[in-house]
Amino acid sequence: MDSYKTTVGIEVHAELKTKSKIFSSSANNYGKMANTCTNVIDLGYPGVLPTLNEEVIKLALRAALVLNCKINKTMHFDRKNYFYPDNPKNYQITQNRTPIGVDGYVEIDTNNGKKKIRIHDIHIEEDTCKSVHSSNKSLLDFNRAGVPLVEIVTEADMSSAEEAMAYLEKLRELLLYADVSDCKIEEGSMRCDCNVSVSKTEKYGTKIEVKNIGSISNVGVAINYEHDRQIALLEKGETLKEETRRFDDKTNSTVLMRVKETGNDYRYFPEPDIPYVTLTDEYVKEVEENIPMTADKRKEFYLASGISEINIKKIIQNRTVSDYLNKFIDKKINLVIASNLLLGDIAAYLNKYEMTLENTKLTDDKFVEVVNALDSGKINSKIFKEILEDVMEQDLSLDKILDNHGVKEMSKDELLDIIKNILDNNEQSVNDYKNGNDRAIKFLMGQIMKETKGNANPTLVTEELTKMLEK
Amino acid sequence: MSNYLDLSIQEINKLLKEKQIKPIDLVNECFDRIEKNKDLNAFITLDKENAIKKAIELEGKEVDNPLFGIPIALKDNIITKDLRTTCASRMLENFIPIYNATVVKKLIEKNMIIIGKCNMDEFAMGSTSRTSYFGAPLNPWNKERVSGGSSGGSVVAVASRQIPLTLGSDTGGSIRQPSSYCGVVGMKPTYGRVSRYGLVPYASSLDQIGPVSRNVYENALLLNIIAGKDELDLTSSRKEVEDYTRLIGEDIKGMKIAVPNYFMSDIVDKEIKDKVNEIIELLKEKGATIDYIDIDFIENAVTIYQIIVMAEASSNLARFDGIRYGYSCENPKDMEDLYKRTRQEGFGTEVKRRIMVGSYLLSGENANVYYNKALQIRDDLKKSFEKAFEKYDLIIGPNATTVAYGINAKLDDPRQTFFDDALVMPTNMAGLPGMNVPIGFNNENMPIGLQIIGNSFEEAKMYKLAAFIEKELNLNLDPRGENNG
Repeated sequence: MDSYKTTVGIEVHAELKTKSKIFSSSANNYGKMANTCTNVIDLGYPGVLPTLNEEVIKLALRAALVLNCKINKTMHFDRKNYFYPDNPKNYQITQNRTPIGVDGYVEIDTNNGKKKIRIHDIHIEEDTCKSVHSSNKSLLDFNRAGVPLVEIVTEADMSSAEEAMAYLEKLRELLLYADVSDCKIEEGSMRCDCNVSVSKTEKYGTKIEVKNIGSISNVGVAINYEHDRQIALLEKGETLKEETRRFDDKTNSTVLMRVKETGNDYRYFPEPDIPYVTLTDEYVKEVEENIPMTADKRKEFYLASGISEINIKKIIQNRTVSDYLNKFIDKKINLVIASNLLLGDIAAYLNKYEMTLENTKLTDDKFVEVVNALDSGKINSKIFKEILEDVMEQDLSLDKILDNHGVKEMSKDELLDIIKNILDNNEQSVNDYKNGNDRAIKFLMGQIMKETKGNANPTLVTEELTKMLEK
Repeated sequence: MSNYLDLSIQEINKLLKEKQIKPIDLVNECFDRIEKNKDLNAFITLDKENAIKKAIELEGKEVDNPLFGIPIALKDNIITKDLRTTCASRMLENFIPIYNATVVKKLIEKNMIIIGKCNMDEFAMGSTSRTSYFGAPLNPWNKERVSGGSSGGSVVAVASRQIPLTLGSDTGGSIRQPSSYCGVVGMKPTYGRVSRYGLVPYASSLDQIGPVSRNVYENALLLNIIAGKDELDLTSSRKEVEDYTRLIGEDIKGMKIAVPNYFMSDIVDKEIKDKVNEIIELLKEKGATIDYIDIDFIENAVTIYQIIVMAEASSNLARFDGIRYGYSCENPKDMEDLYKRTRQEGFGTEVKRRIMVGSYLLSGENANVYYNKALQIRDDLKKSFEKAFEKYDLIIGPNATTVAYGINAKLDDPRQTFFDDALVMPTNMAGLPGMNVPIGFNNENMPIGLQIIGNSFEEAKMYKLAAFIEKELNLNLDPRGENNG
């Protein structure tokens, strides 16, 4: 049975994060009341013409660059002609002959090491309306009509559900970190269609397309389901036909939508309403230079800063944290402490009060002060927990907050005095220590901490105490 | 009733400025003339109520431009907010748009008064205006003859002196050929000179809105206000707008003019060629040089025109599906039935024919065999014209191969209608400006026109030659019996 080889190719549609639509000035907004973000252009009124949102070109170019594509520097749009109620002009403006990017790749991690999934092309197109079907009526919401999309088409390079999921995770991370799309599958801003085939020979099997898959993990479910279904049919001696199937998340199976007839005839031709777009070398360079740091570069950098792999994973999963952390790269602060704070106490605080960093009183300067204070031993984490709420809520400097809490900065001399004093008053314990009683040092530590009211850095105390005992 | 509308625009402007007349006088007279000429069927929709309202509104305003208060009508494929726009089709018989075309906004800004919408071929598909759902407009020189098309109504309205100015649209001669048939001045500006936003497209890569007028100067005045870059039309040009009247009245001595041999070949009626030759002699006599030249690929224009136009039309007209606006068939069984019957019942025969042929031309491999090849030849033709304009100021020739023919003639051969426009299509193919200026009549007293083709954005130069010819010939171009001769 397992001599069958599975082949998967994936088409992803990702909505671009622009303020307005691709060919009109309507707002590009998700979740607004139906048909409130539309105008005559989105509605395909007679006589209207498309304009071209330059932001779309910029974001699509970014996407093409992070997918390592060759860029079509002279490109045009094409009309894809087909009748469907969600297609207002009954043609969709897309790119057929000159996609913005071709011949790229995405590198994924597999059990057998790294693997390149080749990108056939990435092209720009407009989204269709959303159809809502209720009883015997179909309703159209034109808010989505004309939302800018990139469609990213892979070669049939994936050979398992795991590889397909790894590709999608990686693609999502790339687009998200390049600020191209928010890639929310549940809101439809990222949609994946999979082409799955199985074969015992070198020749590809019959291609079955699966649409409507609502999450990356369901892509895995769908591929595995298709793998089993197709092999079972072939083993029964049946011949497969090219067809389009729909993923059903209630039954975790795929359902036939339509059998593909002799190739679709979209009657493509160059869109005469939009002149050719020329991307100059300078423009491409400028766009490339302004791509936000990729997730991979961030990981590398965090690793070099000494952040643990577990924390790196957590940071990358939370773009806001990563962006916040990156603000301090040049400030030469201890990023390990900074990331611990962000993922620990600060995250807990934000969760508790359902807040975001922007609406707290934690300024960048204050954050640097806190991290440096922890780093130098000026305060310890226990003190930080005590003052956390004030740090987040008050418009005061760290010193002032510490002052208000009666936390005085303790000089090293002061500390040494206290240690010396404690040792002088606890001769018995000192002797116990010298006789090899380890518990004695714990007692001494406790005495010192009590005396300093917790204002001393425990590491520093241990260090100095040991030094003095060894004398 | 007064006859202010027989005065020139400059004279009317002077009377308005001096408050001797009011815009309402012009509007009333205009509607009076339209009423008298109802049989010519030049209009599809009139907007008397709003025109009167606007005229009264203008009474309190300063007369600040030459076209202030002048009545104008538009071909019915130019979108007018709150005013029915039908494209002469059952499909849009009751379509009231919710926005204005850019040209309409410009007319309103200049306080021109929109009187109504002119008859035309359905969706501009035709060369006689006979494909109109509302019946054909008639040629005012002979009501048994066609007006030409597709801007037939716009041209008839001006030729019969119902209104001094109209706008038409020209995809393959649709302003120039009827202007030639009816004896008026018609300009198809350079592609990109006038915004197409709000022009219901026939073939997007060729369509251009242009002015129709009684004389050359007034035509240039109207182009002055409709030309210019429009941020809503990416194909409109950033090239600065100039005063298109500025060369009118200048001497033509030293002008270098070319006549393509194809324009004087056997495809053109002898009477028309004779008239054009008279003009050639006149121009030579006045100091212009005339050379006969060959323009490569010019004879392919009709073929490539048909391919490009029908291919683009098949896509442009796809949006008429009965869902959002326009005609929608009754009680559709399902989606497919809605599409099929809406389009079957809403479109006329010629429109359906062109959509079908266009769909075929783009289908599968055909797109490469026909459409893409046609685009290549179009580029080659464009280059041939560019080569000619390296040496010549202007190109001239006839506009039409014949004068206006019988209203019942030749409807049975769908290809003939394209050949009516064999001489005007090359201009659209090359994106160049072309115009008609009347140069006389044949022995049946039907108008004959001269085509003037300019290099891109050289409309001013064309107006200069046209105005010169107009002045030299001093023709009576008023077809009304009582004023004629």
